[in-house]
Amino acid sequence: MAPARVDAQKDAENELEMKVAKYSRGKGADLKALRDKKLKGQLAVKEKLFGQSAKAAAKAEQWLMPCEEGFLEPDDLEKTYRFPQESIMKEVDLLSSRKPFDMILPVLGPYTIEYTSNGRYMLVGGRKGHLAMMDMLNMDLIKEFQVRETVRDVAFLHNEQLYAVAQKKYPYIYNRHGTEIHCLKEHGKVLKLQFLTKQFLLASINSFGQLHYQDVSTGEMIANYRTGLGRTDVMRVNSYNAVIGLGHAGGKVTMWKPTSVKPLVTMLCHHGPVTAVAFDRGGHLMATAGVDRKIKIWDLRKYEVVKSYTARAQSLDFSQKGLLACSNGSQVEIYRDFGGHDYRLYMKHRMMKGYQVGKVLFRPYEDILGIGHSMGLSSILVPGSGEPNFDTFVDNPMETTKQKREKEVHALLDKLPPDTIMLNPNLIATVRAPKKKEKKTKKENEEEMEEAIEAAKNTARKKKTKGRSKPSKRAKKKEEDVFRAKRPFLEQSEGDGRPDKKQRVGEEVELPKALQRFAKKPQS
Amino acid sequence: MRRGKPARGGPDKKRRHGPRLPTTMRRELDAMGSGPARGSDDEEVSDAGAEDVYEYEEGVPEEEAGKNGRYDAVAKYEYEFDSDASEADEDVPSEEGEDMEDDGEDEEKQIRILQETTGMPREAFDGKKRKQPSELPLPHGDGPITIHDLLDNIQGKPGYSKVRKRLQQQEKKTMVIAAPLPKVERDKLDRNMTYEQSKGEFTKWERPVKGNREAATLFFENDVNLGVNTIAAIASEFKPRTKLEKTIDELTRSTEIMEAHKNDGAKILELNKIDVEDVRERQNRLAKMRSLLFRHEMKAKRVKKIKSRTYHRMLKKDKLKAASADFEADPEAAKDYAMKQEFKRAEERMTLKHKNTSKWAKRILKRGLSVQDEGTRAAIAAQLQQNALLTRKMNSMKDDSSSEESSDDDEDENDSEAKILNRGKEKILKVIEEDKEIPNSGVFSLPFMERAMKKQKEAAYEEARRALEEYDNSLRKLEESDNTERNDSINVTGKRAFGPAKNTPEDANKRQKLEETENSDSEYDSDPAEHLGNNEATTKDGIPLGRALLDDEQNDLYKSFDDIMKNPGPKTTFEVGMLAGDSWKTVKSSKGNDDNNVNRITNKSKLQTPIVDPNPKQRDNDPDSDSEEEMVEGFMTISDTKENYELPSQADLIRQAFAGDDVEAEFEKGKMEVLNEENPEPEKPALVPGWGQWTDIQQKKGLPSWMIKEHEIAKRNREEALKRRKDSKLKHVIISEHVDKKVEKYLARNLPFPYTSKDVYEQSIRMPIGPDFNPAISVSALNRPAIVKKPGVVIKPIQYEEVDHHQKPDEPKRVIQRVTPHPNAKKKQSKGATSHKRK
Repeated sequence: MAPARVDAQKDAENELEMKVAKYSRGKGADLKALRDKKLKGQLAVKEKLFGQSAKAAAKAEQWLMPCEEGFLEPDDLEKTYRFPQESIMKEVDLLSSRKPFDMILPVLGPYTIEYTSNGRYMLVGGRKGHLAMMDMLNMDLIKEFQVRETVRDVAFLHNEQLYAVAQKKYPYIYNRHGTEIHCLKEHGKVLKLQFLTKQFLLASINSFGQLHYQDVSTGEMIANYRTGLGRTDVMRVNSYNAVIGLGHAGGKVTMWKPTSVKPLVTMLCHHGPVTAVAFDRGGHLMATAGVDRKIKIWDLRKYEVVKSYTARAQSLDFSQKGLLACSNGSQVEIYRDFGGHDYRLYMKHRMMKGYQVGKVLFRPYEDILGIGHSMGLSSILVPGSGEPNFDTFVDNPMETTKQKREKEVHALLDKLPPDTIMLNPNLIATVRAPKKKEKKTKKENEEEMEEAIEAAKNTARKKKTKGRSKPSKRAKKKEEDVFRAKRPFLEQSEGDGRPDKKQRVGEEVELPKALQRFAKKPQS
Repeated sequence: MRRGKPARGGPDKKRRHGPRLPTTMRRELDAMGSGPARGSDDEEVSDAGAEDVYEYEEGVPEEEAGKNGRYDAVAKYEYEFDSDASEADEDVPSEEGEDMEDDGEDEEKQIRILQETTGMPREAFDGKKRKQPSELPLPHGDGPITIHDLLDNIQGKPGYSKVRKRLQQQEKKTMVIAAPLPKVERDKLDRNMTYEQSKGEFTKWERPVKGNREAATLFFENDVNLGVNTIAAIASEFKPRTKLEKTIDELTRSTEIMEAHKNDGAKILELNKIDVEDVRERQNRLAKMRSLLFRHEMKAKRVKKIKSRTYHRMLKKDKLKAASADFEADPEAAKDYAMKQEFKRAEERMTLKHKNTSKWAKRILKRGLSVQDEGTRAAIAAQLQQNALLTRKMNSMKDDSSSEESSDDDEDENDSEAKILNRGKEKILKVIEEDKEIPNSGVFSLPFMERAMKKQKEAAYEEARRALEEYDNSLRKLEESDNTERNDSINVTGKRAFGPAKNTPEDANKRQKLEETENSDSEYDSDPAEHLGNNEATTKDGIPLGRALLDDEQNDLYKSFDDIMKNPGPKTTFEVGMLAGDSWKTVKSSKGNDDNNVNRITNKSKLQTPIVDPNPKQRDNDPDSDSEEEMVEGFMTISDTKENYELPSQADLIRQAFAGDDVEAEFEKGKMEVLNEENPEPEKPALVPGWGQWTDIQQKKGLPSWMIKEHEIAKRNREEALKRRKDSKLKHVIISEHVDKKVEKYLARNLPFPYTSKDVYEQSIRMPIGPDFNPAISVSALNRPAIVKKPGVVIKPIQYEEVDHHQKPDEPKRVIQRVTPHPNAKKKQSKGATSHKRK
């Protein structure tokens, strides 16, 4: 009894320690090596506070987030991918058993789907112009209407109040009630839409391979870049760093940010056209699929292939807990990481023969995979796919109207500028790498000039005869030398082209009325 | 002689007191004889002189003062008192004034002898002599005074024995005074002493100063007294300075005013005495009023919130009724009301507020009344009615002749309509009758004119007849509609109200009529004939046309949305929705508790065979051929090829097999391009134009060595740069090295001050410090500034305070400031810290 308790206690301690390590975000600086005592003291205090908050966070997690994701657990010789949906349905609780459904909508063609970030609402877009928004919590149809033209893609903006739809000619923004709010003509014929939540940017790729970024809060067009790699409809945003990944026909995957004309990274992933790209939630894993019948999983820190499978996929998606769904024809396969990026087949689901799966998408905070296919929509149960504990400060599936409003305002206040998007977001506030060739500062310039003048002054002169070494002559020569030494520096400083600072201040700064009488009067 | 005496206080004093006669002369003067008072004076003086040298000296000015008649009785008294004492004590009595000088000489001698024998300065003896009389009544006569003599005086007082003992001890010892140390040594010792002293003084500061330096935050917040006092405090310190101020002060502080004020105050106080019952009563009354007010307020609020139109209408009516009842009783109020109404009417006439001139009304009319909902239509109608009402009233006020119209407010428009029509009819009949008389003189008597007149008349008659018919028609119609309306208006409280629910042709008819009356009303006071024509025109084509139009409209516009859903008409191709297709409902209904609902769904889906395009196509890569169906087909066919696998053609196979090679080479080329762009290749050195170019010297020599060297260096640099690239070892990756200038503003230009290593700095900023990431306990600590200080607080210099060494070191230091230095600064404080500025 006693040893068991001790063991349990130890386990709990270990777990807590691990969590603390997670929340302390790496190790602190080695204080012993520091020589500056004051800094050492300050850092010690800081580290102590960090430790405190990490511990508090770990404890909070322990008590407030007790749920763990559950997976299918096979008996020996059983394979999880042989479990059909029916048998899973039998086992799960009543609430979960109501979540999967099949919706047959044969006429308006292949469907694409989209979830809000809290997983509550689903947006459905039929290729032939059918749009519908549903509340998935109570299976309620919020709005359904037809735009009567091609719908290529749909994307929610920051919440379910607004969504963008890529239609025949332009993308449009609709509100919850299906009212058209905007027509984004600048984007052109858009094939794929993505929304960067934290930056409030709507990114689109159009049929000419142009990438557009538009700020939906201000309406400003942030960037418009030509990829130069042809038409593509493979686009995914990496939620970790808000970098956009594009898959191209040449087998390349390129990564973009709104402030750079050229792609940040270009990778040759496949020998044929890329059909799908997906990013892990942590941002370090990328899955790509190509026409060359390969699905590859990449480590984005090393840009190396972690795992490669021979399979086709039209659509890929990573779940919150790291499951990877691939759709192939009418079949959906789900892979699971069995440790060390060893992705193995976890589940399999076959649609009706002849159904073509267009898009697979995991529903956030639920163990559900949404499937948009040629004959409508489906959703299936995938145990262990969704995050079981939701943080209401991040996403709240049970949001009230008030909370939604509050969150909207907060999100707008915390909006990140588009320049903050970079491959490694941790780089912000670090010391920048030294530039290769930097222009000399004024101070450096002056210092150099002084040195040159000193050198010119101190050069020893020959003693010359016939009155050429007269003191006056020597002084004159010296002066000339100094002037000659000075000249290049003076030219440099003049090259700034900026008028004298003092002068500028005098001209521009207008004193307040009360102080004007003390100002120097211009001399008449 | 006397002047010759050195170091005597006397001569000085003498000189101070001005010129005086020598003693000899004075003696002669005395001999000559003077006043008795004077004589006595003199004698006293001489007496005094005989007693003591010291006393004598004092005595001189007294004598002089007597001479000048400025003799001070008090001074003399003192003097006498003194002399008495000295007389009693003096061991050397002197009887006569004449001996005084000799006596002095003797004393001189004595002192000199003493000086010679003892070697002590003469002052000692002088002083001794002087002090003796006042302080120490010594018993024995001559000889130097020893310490023992002095000791005897304090015998019996506390501490006497101690002193005596010490004296005895001293007397036993032989006293040898050591030679003083050399100055250098002495200075050194001094310095040592000072150092020791100051060391203690300084080390005591070490701890607080160190503590303050190391503290993460210093607080200077406790002292919030900024020295600004209340107005009363400032006023109490006020002192009148200027003349005006002083006079005012005087006036205000004058006793009369003060008293008056006091009295008044007393009176007030007397008045203040109120009965308890009175107070209670008053309180009760106030409370009641307050509660009534509150209730009324609440009621008003509730009433205001009620949105029901009917309720408000009723309320208004009630009010009106009440008001009218009032008017009957009170002619004044009635007059007021009439004035108000008049004003309102004038306003309406000016603004035409209720006559479809508002933006809202215009917009509604533009969109068409029939499209609007019940409420809006009712509102519009009400408005029009209001306008009619107001304007009509105005007319009635103007000319009382048309008493019929002014008779009733709620007069039915249809009635007036009928009246108008009737009157028109009468007029026409009259005109027809009148027409029969023809003027038979002047131009009209000419035959062609006559003919023309006749023709005209006939035409007019015809017209009039037609008009009469019309009148009859419309009157009949009016009657009909009246009937129908009455049927309607039974439950609509007699007023015109247009409910869209009863959107029958009758209704439309009514609306039409309303408009008519509208017209007629507004133009009623203009020429009746004109009005007639106008009315005629509207009645002629208005009613039937409007009816037909509205009927049509109704067919189209009043169809409910459900109807559209049910009868899709020709546009049914788009009518595929979750609701329309019924699949949604079935799915929903199938979601029972039974476990095999999925099975059912799948079964159902099996029943509906999917449409699969029979002829598979290549993937639709052509951006222009983007018609909907094609896109759909394309989408379906890609996957289709995979599902029903078909043998690809040989060419396709070859293309697929060799696709990779191409891609890789292409990528490599692309990468080289990017590399060259970011690290351009150095230019190859070439022959320089210039000296020796036309000869073969340069060619023979080849390129100058510096050129080759430069080129090599550049080449090496480039290679190194390429090697340093992140993607140098990754064949399939290009990572852009382009520095984004927009990102630079988020990076630190150089290492912040106290840090010396980049790693330490980056590790120190690894943790977020915001409230989203940290518990509340550490957020404030993480974000606290180095110094917490309220604006305006003066930071006082550091003060030493004894610190408890065993206190918790972790607690944040709270510096306590005091306005005035505390008398016992060593008292321990709760936080036990010192106050001073951070260094």
